[in-house]
Amino acid sequence: MIQIKNLTKRFGQHTAVDHLNFTVGKGEILGFLGPNGAGKSTTMNMITGYISATEGSVIIDGMDIVDHPLEVKSKIGYLPEFPPLYPEMTVTEYLEFVSDIKKVDAAAKKESMEKIMDLVKIGDVQGRLIKNLSKGYKQRVGLAQALIGRPEILILDEPTVGLDPKQIIEIRNLIKELGKEHTIILSSHILPEVSAVCEQVIIINKGKIVASDTPENLSKRLVGGNQLILRVAGAEKEVMNTVKTVAGISYIESKGEREPDSVDIVVESETEEDIRKPLFFALSQAKLPILMMKSMDLTLEEIFLQIITEEEVVS
Amino acid sequence: MLAVFKREFKSYFISPIGYIFMGFFLLLSGVFFALINLMSASAHYISVLTNITFIFMFVVPILTMRLMSEDKRLKTDQLLLTSPLSITGLVLGKYLAAVGVFLLTILITCIYPVIINHFGILAVWEVVGGYIGFFLLGSAFIALGLFISSTTENQVAAAIITFSALLFIWLIDWVQEILPKDALSGAVFAGLLIIAIMYLVYRNTRDLWVSIIPAVLGVGGVVTTYFLNKTVFDGFITRFFDWFSLLKRFNSFAMGIFDLSAVVYYLSFSAVFIFLTIQIIEKRRWS
Repeated sequence: MIQIKNLTKRFGQHTAVDHLNFTVGKGEILGFLGPNGAGKSTTMNMITGYISATEGSVIIDGMDIVDHPLEVKSKIGYLPEFPPLYPEMTVTEYLEFVSDIKKVDAAAKKESMEKIMDLVKIGDVQGRLIKNLSKGYKQRVGLAQALIGRPEILILDEPTVGLDPKQIIEIRNLIKELGKEHTIILSSHILPEVSAVCEQVIIINKGKIVASDTPENLSKRLVGGNQLILRVAGAEKEVMNTVKTVAGISYIESKGEREPDSVDIVVESETEEDIRKPLFFALSQAKLPILMMKSMDLTLEEIFLQIITEEEVVS
Repeated sequence: MLAVFKREFKSYFISPIGYIFMGFFLLLSGVFFALINLMSASAHYISVLTNITFIFMFVVPILTMRLMSEDKRLKTDQLLLTSPLSITGLVLGKYLAAVGVFLLTILITCIYPVIINHFGILAVWEVVGGYIGFFLLGSAFIALGLFISSTTENQVAAAIITFSALLFIWLIDWVQEILPKDALSGAVFAGLLIIAIMYLVYRNTRDLWVSIIPAVLGVGGVVTTYFLNKTVFDGFITRFFDWFSLLKRFNSFAMGIFDLSAVVYYLSFSAVFIFLTIQIIEKRRWS
């Protein structure tokens, strides 16, 4: 559906996007992660044809955006970082205008507008001026605008920014819902959002792809073995000695005292073997109660930080 | 294009801009009509149109200042440029909206010749020709304002630059008279002009060779031509400024002549600036 080949954008000396390559299949939801200034918005602006690429190509449905700009643009709905709204128009007037420039059939216009307003829940503000709407409503009107004309592809640049937690969950569910019919590229720096919504994640930093995988694989890839974190009541030395007796442990590290009269330790096993039971029996026999034990699954935040900092060490 | 036209035309009357433009224009044209026709009991309506051409200087910036700059400020250009809408359609829609407001305004002023016709003898075709010339002159100024508005996202800057440009056009006929007319200064001016244009090309393309080669060739051409045939540059400066003298071309309308060359001139002037506006927007996507 979407093919990005060697996409590059230079602003003078500064390279904002550096030879990106990826493809998105029909019906997929792709998450685009990266710190501020990583080139997410620039990439999206190039895919939607708002700015031109310095090098490389964007191919939508087999058509290059340079050769068939109008056909390609009619397939894409775009919600930019700042929703492109006219403050002096009412919501209905605005959506009518968008329907007109997107060449929605006049007969179907009214009905499709109402459907979209229902979907993003802005029906109750449809007669109000956009400048009087709250940030959350403006964001939803922006989303409604992207949905007009039933585009096959949706490009959403930080769709939940500025919303309250309840609205974030609503929009997230909406995006999931939309993902059944549309191909979606979504950028965000709210990472749980990406893991909740996306099937595929691309992490970019300084204009380059640093990781590209499913959210599950990304966390597996980076954990590097089975790590457990334990909090045990007792003296550090005693705890360490007891843990060392358990078979299958490759690495132990003490993290010191975090709670009075206890010690936190990180334990790593070399194999896939589950060491939680042997650990429990060994420590209970030594009369050292386990206060807490959990596996060190990295959250996307941690993966993200890890990848970005690795990058910095390398460069 | 129609959607953009409709939205833009409406927005003139949602914001005060449309009313300010129409009010100011109608007030001044009314004052001039009262002074020239009513008070002095004259049926010579065309001299009202001739006298009020100076209003353009003040009202055209009001009409055009936010035309292209507003979208950049509101970031709605991201919507317009990513929707299946050609840039030509976008620019034309906006231009025609401004021209539409202007046309509506001058249609209201048609009451004046009707009043004259009721009480006296009106040279009908002279007035019709004059109105066509007047409309085309205003449209040419609006095209210039549209272009200036596309170069900035600051409305105030757009208004001031448009005002200065119109003031320059207004003064051009007088300035022309005092400029040197000999061949040498003509040639020097032509050389400087080429360098200035190529500098602008360089600023926009950042390609040294594309700008330097034509600059060198052009200046070389000017020097060679000067030594071969000096007369080419006689009065060149005057002729150059003459190209921008929009008001001088209105004189024939003022005398009751329907000047086809002036009509073509006004239309091409508008077309050039609409074309340049399209180029500016196209270029912004590339840099």
